[in-house]
Amino acid sequence: MAFFLQNLVNALQWGSFYALIAIGYSMVYGVLFLFNFAHGDIFMVGAYIGFFVSTGLLALASTGVVALPEGVTLALVLVLTLIISMILNSFVGMLVERIGYRPLRNAPRASAAITGLMIGIILETGNLAILGPQRRLFPDLIPTQTITVAGVSITNKKMLIVGISILLTVALHQFVQRSKWGMAMRAMAYDYVVVPLMGIPVNTVALMTFGLGSALAAAGGILYGTAYPVLDPNMGILFGWKAFVAAILGGRGSILGAGVAGFLLGFIEIFVATIFPSTMRNLIAFSIIMIILTFRPHGFFGEPYSARLRL
Amino acid sequence: MTTETVSPPSTRQRFRAALLKAWEPYRSVPLLGWLVAILVAVGLERLVGLPLAYLLGMSKVPALLGVVVVLSDPIRIPSVLIYILLIYVVPIGLVARFTAPLFNRIAAYLMRYPLLVTALVHLLLLYADLHLWASISDYRILVARLTMIAIIVTLSLNLVNGYMGEFSCSHPGFMALGAYTASVFTLVLFVNDNRFGEAIFPPSWGPYFFPVGLVLGGVVSAIGALLVAIPSFRTRGDYLAIISLAFMFVVKSLFENMEVVGGARGVANQPDYATLPIVFVWTVLSVWIMNNFVRSTMGKALNAVRDDELAATAMTVDTRKTKMVAFLFAAFWAGVAGGLFAHVLHYINPDTFGIRKLAEVLAMVYFGGLNSVTGSIVGAVSLNLISEALRPLEIYKWIIIPIMLILIMIYRPTGLVAFTEFEIEKLFLPKGETSKGAGHGTA
Amino acid sequence: MKHMKFVAVLLIATFVLAACGPAAPATIKIGINAPITGDIPKVGEGTKFAAELWLEEIGGTINVGGKDYKVELVIEDNESKGESAAAVNTKLITQDEVLVIVGPQASKQAVPAGAVANDLETPMISPWSTNPATTKDRPWVFRTPFLDPFQGPVIANFVTDEFGFTKAGVLYDIASDYPKGLAEYFKQAWEELHGEGSVVAFESFTTGDTDFSAQLTKIMDAGAEFIFAPQYYNEVALIVKQAHELGFTGPIVGSDSWGSAETVNLCGEDCYGLFFSTHYAAEGATGATKEFIDKYNAKYGYVPDDVAALTWDSLNIVKTAIENCGKLTGDIKADRKCVRDAMANIKEFHGITGDMTFTEEGDPIKCAVIVRISEEGKFTFYKQVCP
Repeated sequence: MAFFLQNLVNALQWGSFYALIAIGYSMVYGVLFLFNFAHGDIFMVGAYIGFFVSTGLLALASTGVVALPEGVTLALVLVLTLIISMILNSFVGMLVERIGYRPLRNAPRASAAITGLMIGIILETGNLAILGPQRRLFPDLIPTQTITVAGVSITNKKMLIVGISILLTVALHQFVQRSKWGMAMRAMAYDYVVVPLMGIPVNTVALMTFGLGSALAAAGGILYGTAYPVLDPNMGILFGWKAFVAAILGGRGSILGAGVAGFLLGFIEIFVATIFPSTMRNLIAFSIIMIILTFRPHGFFGEPYSARLRL
Repeated sequence: MTTETVSPPSTRQRFRAALLKAWEPYRSVPLLGWLVAILVAVGLERLVGLPLAYLLGMSKVPALLGVVVVLSDPIRIPSVLIYILLIYVVPIGLVARFTAPLFNRIAAYLMRYPLLVTALVHLLLLYADLHLWASISDYRILVARLTMIAIIVTLSLNLVNGYMGEFSCSHPGFMALGAYTASVFTLVLFVNDNRFGEAIFPPSWGPYFFPVGLVLGGVVSAIGALLVAIPSFRTRGDYLAIISLAFMFVVKSLFENMEVVGGARGVANQPDYATLPIVFVWTVLSVWIMNNFVRSTMGKALNAVRDDELAATAMTVDTRKTKMVAFLFAAFWAGVAGGLFAHVLHYINPDTFGIRKLAEVLAMVYFGGLNSVTGSIVGAVSLNLISEALRPLEIYKWIIIPIMLILIMIYRPTGLVAFTEFEIEKLFLPKGETSKGAGHGTA
Repeated sequence: MKHMKFVAVLLIATFVLAACGPAAPATIKIGINAPITGDIPKVGEGTKFAAELWLEEIGGTINVGGKDYKVELVIEDNESKGESAAAVNTKLITQDEVLVIVGPQASKQAVPAGAVANDLETPMISPWSTNPATTKDRPWVFRTPFLDPFQGPVIANFVTDEFGFTKAGVLYDIASDYPKGLAEYFKQAWEELHGEGSVVAFESFTTGDTDFSAQLTKIMDAGAEFIFAPQYYNEVALIVKQAHELGFTGPIVGSDSWGSAETVNLCGEDCYGLFFSTHYAAEGATGATKEFIDKYNAKYGYVPDDVAALTWDSLNIVKTAIENCGKLTGDIKADRKCVRDAMANIKEFHGITGDMTFTEEGDPIKCAVIVRISEEGKFTFYKQVCP
């Protein structure tokens, strides 16, 4: 039982990263009906921004500008890092939209997917070219405390990571469901052709979609950095593609769906590695996904639709 | 399209006009003439290329038209330019121009024979060009073979992403299936290998049965494609993209877990069956068959399904069957290409057929142009050569190539040469002056 | 028409002139096949730096049979991928026409690249690849480090003597030749010492994975007293940290792939006090080894890791072989053969990573070092194990 619970805790943490990235994919896919293949790399950029912001803040704190107890300083740094990086990374996301997607608004969707893919490669290689080959060590913002309950070791990091991810997911869901801009987004997702005629500014909504998704990716990147503190330029590739699959599994444009599917993917991966030889992880995880999609082609929360392909 | 301009022509216009004027005599050069002219140039390179290179201060013949030399050593630019001018531009220009009437007559004469004969003559010449050019260095041979394989893969993906209008991500998976099947086929039957034991048949039989292995690889990957096609084509929408992506991961992971074929460490020791002529023959075959496919009723049906599925159904097109056949057909050729690929590199591992490969193939398809055989050839050849040529830039190569692609996508969203038909018959026709000549003949 | 004739005459004149023109210039080209991008870029950087330092050290020339040849390094990136390493070797051999290739480093690339070098009959020496398959049945391929069948028992014996453990857990990357090979040799050696089933958990993952919690939970559940993790530096930090977070308290033991300066940078305090086997220990080195370390440190600002030291040794072996060759003909095929024969004939070599003698296969016999990561994060010499 302890063995099972331990894996459950591990899976929750692992799934929360997939959830945070999948939501970004899902929003772009839902609202603009595009594949944003650069999203995995936006996640990577978010993690790096988080690295620089937190290192900077820690350096600032060590000069003694503010005299606070160490625990408080670290907590403050973490919160500030999250906020600043989310804002900065949302600009990165908007830039990607402006450069890679807006010029292609009326082009075939696949062409936009290709520019996304290429922007992703530029982000990876650009990072390598600018920052050099060494890996970066993400600063330890949360001093690890391990609590053992009934043979299950839970760290404060894990609780915080899972907590923040769920909080962000719910917050975004509320934003999309309740706010005026959220309504605009949902309207765009509903009908791409007519809604802009109703006076909804397509470009603003598109920018906002990319910005929000990227902000979430930055949060994911920072939390990822605290859990797996070795950053490298290619960390977003596989992660991104897997999250993309999770986003579709959740259903088109469904934020909760993407979140749930992200956690599900995390569970499948961890438990497959536990029960079977761990190399079977991808094989079984993706086989399961293929089977689910065969029987539920619109994902968990997606509506069947028959929009005309814009090719 | 001559526009009367009152204002004096700008430098650019004058330059353009000069260029057009210089090009004018070459309009009447038929394909045959070009091929022979190139033959002369590469023959010349064989004879005096190396000494000329030494004379110009280069240690060897610039392999890919000197682009590699230029980037790693800019001082050499003049010598490379002189070399290209002397070996390629001037001889090709002279020969093409002055033999044009002769070859136009020959081309017209050839038109009297069945298309097959004409095509064979042209192909033989093309191969002679390629052979003479490539055999100067092993490096050229390698690049030429990989480029031709890229043509097969690109064209087959274009069937799905261009002609069918879906977004498929599983081509690396199909290539892997073909590559592994063909490798195991040759290694088990014809090679004494530590992993698969003694050869069952005499190794000298190997090259003759190699096509069987390739076709087998193609069939296996077509069967794999069935796994993707059955769930994906039940509904409309983007599910092919996801399922094919999942399929690619599954295949890669499957081979990583198969210890029989070396697991993640891959299989090596494939014999050198995929030589330049073999790859050439397969490439020509694949282009010819796929071109016929897209120009057949089936291909037209495919276009109809892409443009409007409902309308196509109304016109009695069985949409699901059409899509399935095209998808399996594409997967078959990807498998064949995979088999060739394995025998060119003599080494494959599951990692070869991952996301990087996917990005590469997609880039070639969209760079060259959707829904176009010519586009696929252009895309595969140019991206392969660019990528080889930019090697000296090390990591910046992977910044420049993506930027290029983004620009292409922005200014030509469907690629360089999209939505064109590749009409073989027209290629072989005599040109320009001979249209008068032909009229004279028929009169 | 007149100028056409002129052009034609000019053309023919040039070609005739060219045909009796000068011969190829005299340089020695050495190809370096290194992972400059990809999973282990720090290894590529070490290789590149060591090679450049070496070129400076020899003054850019090698004297063969009384004639000075200019040495040119052709450094190519293999992206830390097996197939790229093979393609790079093909390019180095056919396009750049190098005399000899140094690299690739990791077995994952060296095994396929070695096949190319052997097929195209070009001598290649891998500074870091410890998997036997790299040189097996390949007369043209050599190496500088010791082999995994030697390293596996070294670690098994060391752990047994040092801690007296009997239950081992292993965590390794199944997609990479080096960890996979070494994990298997270690398992074999450990089970010879402690009987069947004494490796209680033999867990794997795939290159690029960052979450090892499932595997570590399994290893701990099986009751392993220590974990053997023959991984590269980027994974070491993650494995050690996650093991500690899951409450694992036993030691984690590593192999020569830990010997990068990055290991401690990324892992920090979590790695202090851990042991691994390697080729040399930078701390407390003397003689030529110290000289090399000081020079490297002065130029690049950090203490070189084992890859750099082994690359240095490999290049010196290459230099010795070229010098022993006696004469270079200018015919690249004959010269390669000559260098290969000379390299195969080197029986003893005193390198900065220790003295080595070479076997028939082209593999050195040399001592291994057990290193302890000190409380200051330095690699300190702990013990030497010789065959």
